[in-house]
Amino acid sequence: MKTRILQIALAGGLMASGLMAAGLPAAVQAQDGGDVVIAQLQAPPSLDPHVTSAQAARNVNLHMYETLYARDENAAPVPDLAQGVEISEDGLTYVFTLREGVNFHDGSQMHADDVVASLNRYREIGASSTLLSAISSVEETGEYEVTVTLSEVQSTFLDNLSSPRAPIAIIPAEQAALGANEIEFIGTGPFRFVEFQPDSFVRLERFDDYTLNTNYSERDGLAGYKEVFIDSVTFRFITESGSRVAGLETGEIHLLETVDGPSAQRLAEDDQYVVYDVLPFAFQVIKFNHAQSPTDDVEFRRAVAAALDMEEIMAISHPDIYEIDGGWLFTNSAFYSDAALDLYNIADLEVARQHLENSSYDGETLTFIVDNGRANVDTATIVQQRLAAIGVNVELSVADWPTVSQIGFTPDGWHFWTHGFGIEPFEGPASVIAPWVDGVSMQADDPEINRLYNELTTEMDADARAEIFAEFQAYMYENAVAIKAGNYGLFQVSTTALENFVPFRIPRMWGVRLNQ
Amino acid sequence: MWSFVLRRLISSIPVLILVSLMTFGLIWLVPGDPASVFLDASATPEQVANLRRELGLDQPLWTQMLSWYERVLSGDLGESILLNRSVAAAILERLPITLSLAAIALVLAVIFGILLGSLAAVNHGGWGDQSIMTVALLGLSIPDFWLGLVLIVVFAVQLGWLPSGGFVAITEDFGGWAMSMALPAFTLTITQIGFIARMTRSSMLDVLRQDYVRTADAKGLGHGFVVMRHALPNAMMPILTVTGVIAGGLLGGAVVVEQVFALPGVGRLIIGAILSRDFPVIQGGLLMLAVIYLLVNLIVDMLYAVIDPRVRLA
Repeated sequence: MKTRILQIALAGGLMASGLMAAGLPAAVQAQDGGDVVIAQLQAPPSLDPHVTSAQAARNVNLHMYETLYARDENAAPVPDLAQGVEISEDGLTYVFTLREGVNFHDGSQMHADDVVASLNRYREIGASSTLLSAISSVEETGEYEVTVTLSEVQSTFLDNLSSPRAPIAIIPAEQAALGANEIEFIGTGPFRFVEFQPDSFVRLERFDDYTLNTNYSERDGLAGYKEVFIDSVTFRFITESGSRVAGLETGEIHLLETVDGPSAQRLAEDDQYVVYDVLPFAFQVIKFNHAQSPTDDVEFRRAVAAALDMEEIMAISHPDIYEIDGGWLFTNSAFYSDAALDLYNIADLEVARQHLENSSYDGETLTFIVDNGRANVDTATIVQQRLAAIGVNVELSVADWPTVSQIGFTPDGWHFWTHGFGIEPFEGPASVIAPWVDGVSMQADDPEINRLYNELTTEMDADARAEIFAEFQAYMYENAVAIKAGNYGLFQVSTTALENFVPFRIPRMWGVRLNQ
Repeated sequence: MWSFVLRRLISSIPVLILVSLMTFGLIWLVPGDPASVFLDASATPEQVANLRRELGLDQPLWTQMLSWYERVLSGDLGESILLNRSVAAAILERLPITLSLAAIALVLAVIFGILLGSLAAVNHGGWGDQSIMTVALLGLSIPDFWLGLVLIVVFAVQLGWLPSGGFVAITEDFGGWAMSMALPAFTLTITQIGFIARMTRSSMLDVLRQDYVRTADAKGLGHGFVVMRHALPNAMMPILTVTGVIAGGLLGGAVVVEQVFALPGVGRLIIGAILSRDFPVIQGGLLMLAVIYLLVNLIVDMLYAVIDPRVRLA
């Protein structure tokens, strides 16, 4: 039977944990056990969950560590290590009741002091420590109770606490006393650390004393019932795309975290493999530098936005795995808005030229910085060509990510920068607005965006928050603060030996079986 | 001999200092640091600054450089920012993989290169000569990464004879080690055979025209014996020189092959360090490669004296 390509709506998909892999005869059931091998592009820079927001690290760390609250299949925050929370009427006090009897990998059990120490460590050195910036104190108010006091009302506090970006993982208090990258890798997750060779692989094994969360009956995002049927999982770091695919075809690898489109098409025709379209996974965003002329000029930015054909950009940069959608959230988000979408994908050179005539652009050559990822280079190239058609001269400056990101974090040396926005639309409206607050992403403060962010994060009513987000989106379009080209996804491929795998923000290995 | 060795070792010190200074210079010129690897594009400048402070990256580069030289003089190459272990340990863990890969490739390339080059010279102008030189040219021209991927497709994917990548330690399983090294070593060998074959042919042709070779033939000695006993030893000097150059080049070539076959060798370590700006590893790794290169050249110079008794090591 021809392998089906499964369409997965990542942020809002319905996943039944008993789903069987297509094509497997009912008589041949998977045996429990086995080592699942996953090939990913990069090695994690650290297995200290607090200090890195790299996707490569999340893939591994979210198997070993857990958080008080975690995101469910629909990206909503739900209790994980917490049993629940009581929020005071004024919205400033959160009393978390912890689950009892939760085991750490070192044999100790989780208590309130571990949670307090972990949260305080994150406030000090966390890669996304601003997530907890509203906290004024964290106290142990019982053996299994932690009270968090905020300095101001924050409607997104549970969203922040459950952010998987650089997870606010709960680790033993004695580990939390150590500095960045000095900890032993001890968490409460369904897998425990075995071995890490930084440029080769990391291996985790099933934690036999894992405390299942009986508040759930099935897998649910990064929370839920995380039952493990395999013995271990090995993440191998293979940068060469052809080598990764070859590893799958020789049977050495069971799952490819990401694969190029042509390989996915080829593998889809083979009954031995299952191809998953993980769409949407991220936005393709083009940033302007508002600290430089002419990209500080609204008319110029509107000219650029009007000129671009998003279908062309997305079809070339992310062939066969993209969506043309201008919303600054994924469509299945409760806060998705169609505000100002008449300004998305105008693709009209005449309209662009009119804006350009009203702008301060004087024929100078502008700099487009871009890292050497293929999709980003393609996006930049298409933008360059399209702008040339209206008389805007753009020079591409391609370098590796550390170089580009260093330049992009300063007000000099660039006018345009394109890259993906992945975790932000998954996390929700506050995460989407946050990169534009205090001018971080565009190098010039925008008081209106700052105001909208403050309003959103202090507004407790969901409908009111939706309106604020719509206002933000309209502002983004009317001022062309930045450009969203569209949504793109990933192709992931597994062998049919891997059963019950359902893609999510990370390749989850709980709930899966390996047919050996 | 020993005074020669000692003098060469002492004269290597300024070379190593120069290499380390140039490396620092390049690091200073290239933007970026490990903080960008830890954090994503939405990180605020404050988050970046905090992490740089945590990782000790907020010191001026010249301060970092002075600290590094102080440590090196006491035998300490420093700590890797990303690997959370000493640079020396990180390199020593990976050195056996790279050296064994390079050594296997070098031995095979030398054996087959000299053999093919000698055959080509002996069959000068004939079909054997033309065929061998065509194959040698092909080997020289083929990019390592392309050849590696083709070999993976044929021998791993299609035939299933060998693994597509990864590494098995020799202490764990000799058979597994041999299988994991087969394709990478073969890839490196093919691209180097051409150099040695061509140099051998050229050098042998010069020697085979000499009077003493004609005399040896005229004395009734078998031509094969004349080639092996009289011609080849006299042709070895240029072959030895190019072998020394190749040995250094193999360390560089190993980088590409390690990436294709996902071998955790020194090459992959240094590439990863460059891409993530792990400065101590870049410094330590390049210094180590420079030391190996200098040692290889020293050995080549010493072998000149062994092969040709007329050479005196002054």
